[in-house]
Amino acid sequence: MSGIEILQIWIIAFFTLALFSFLYKDNPFYRLAENIFAGLTTGYQVSLIWDTVIIQKLWDPMMGGQWWLFLPGLLGLMMFSRFSPKISWMSRVPLAVVMGITAGIFLTTQLHGFVLPQMQATMNTFVTAKGFADYFLASLIAVGVISTMIYFYFSHEHVGVLGVTAKLGIWFIMISFGAHFGYTVMGRVSLLIGRTQFLIEDWIGTFSYIL
Amino acid sequence: MTIWERFDNMDRRWVYLMVALAVIIPFLVPMKFDISITPEVQSFYDAVDNLPDSCTVMLVFDYYPSTAAECEPMAIVAAHHLFRKDCKIITLSNIPYGGPSMAETVTRAIAKEYDKKYGEDFVNLGFKYGPIAVLKGMGISIESIFPTDNSGTPLAELPMMDSVTNYEQVSFIFEIADNATADYWISIVNAGYGVPMGVGCTAVMAPKFYAFLGANQIVGLLGGMKGAAEYEILIGKPGTAYRGMDVQSMVHFVIIALVIIGNIGFFVTKRRNRKKSA
Repeated sequence: MSGIEILQIWIIAFFTLALFSFLYKDNPFYRLAENIFAGLTTGYQVSLIWDTVIIQKLWDPMMGGQWWLFLPGLLGLMMFSRFSPKISWMSRVPLAVVMGITAGIFLTTQLHGFVLPQMQATMNTFVTAKGFADYFLASLIAVGVISTMIYFYFSHEHVGVLGVTAKLGIWFIMISFGAHFGYTVMGRVSLLIGRTQFLIEDWIGTFSYIL
Repeated sequence: MTIWERFDNMDRRWVYLMVALAVIIPFLVPMKFDISITPEVQSFYDAVDNLPDSCTVMLVFDYYPSTAAECEPMAIVAAHHLFRKDCKIITLSNIPYGGPSMAETVTRAIAKEYDKKYGEDFVNLGFKYGPIAVLKGMGISIESIFPTDNSGTPLAELPMMDSVTNYEQVSFIFEIADNATADYWISIVNAGYGVPMGVGCTAVMAPKFYAFLGANQIVGLLGGMKGAAEYEILIGKPGTAYRGMDVQSMVHFVIIALVIIGNIGFFVTKRRNRKKSA
């Protein structure tokens, strides 16, 4: 292991421990690590977007003869007019373009990518079911979907049959929250494991090279 | 003050200490708990294993370094699996921080083991901003979106990319994500171009993707470190995720015990207070 690699591991270990130190209480090491992280990520993102978008996708092609790209470039510049109240109206033009394009793309992708396949799969559970267990699970899915959707139907007061079904929907939502929470705990623990693995295997591992 | 009241008012740092011990001890004394293979990971493995040899696969690094503990083992094990099958790997990223460099590190390290060459067996396209435009654009021409690879070499100079124009030449996409980009891959690329997909995601995101798995929009799912550990077992390469599962189980025991004790304490204290007031 080279000296640079050892130094790199020690820097990572220092910032990991500095951030963990917040668990005991707020302290200058934690704040130092937090501020360095904020500064680094901002600088990195600005430079990356400058290179991959402004230079590679706008400037270079324009210089290569695709002069019409000045139009989206101009739209981008118009966004900066928001900083001056007198000409801030100009920013509405690129915003309108972005909203129009986004709405158009999302309308089709959400419908074809999410709504229709999910509806089809929900309906197909009965068609593809074989045996009692499959029919039971298909019924559970159907009851879950219908009762949850009714819970989110707010145009009518939740009383009578509607109220009972909506309450059933809450139960399904709560069970779903429970599953999400369980997975969230698992995910956060995994991140802690990753850092601990690094500290025990990599950082402590460098001691044998140093001592 | 009763023991339950003391427990109720316990400094939270004691909980942190218990969790820290539950994390450190299994690393020092491995317990080797059994890991069962779930159907979603098995179907993912089968889908990759049944791909034609030497086909082109996209391995997408849409995760930040902060979730590398969960996602990187998936990328490593998938690269092993794909190189073993002589598949050509195209890596790319839709997130700005770390994705392209992690793709570079992972694929280059594993390519050495299988004697694979950059440009012939794998290519790292790097990062481009705006996932919707990028994913839609690659449906027409990958080169129009990524004129060069991550290190600035024009795609035309990379022999592997001669036969790849758009998604039509891609047999499978493995999206590893810790954010909403996985939704775009499903709704734009899978729904729009019909490319089979598998998703590897953080545990936090996993419940959502079971709906896509149930609807056959994805062929398999690796959820968090557990999913990665199962995949490691299936290809016979136990790695960091496998080693982390002992710790995961131990911390879960601690958390479950604390939840049970906390709830018993809550109800006992509530009952006592009710008796006192009566």
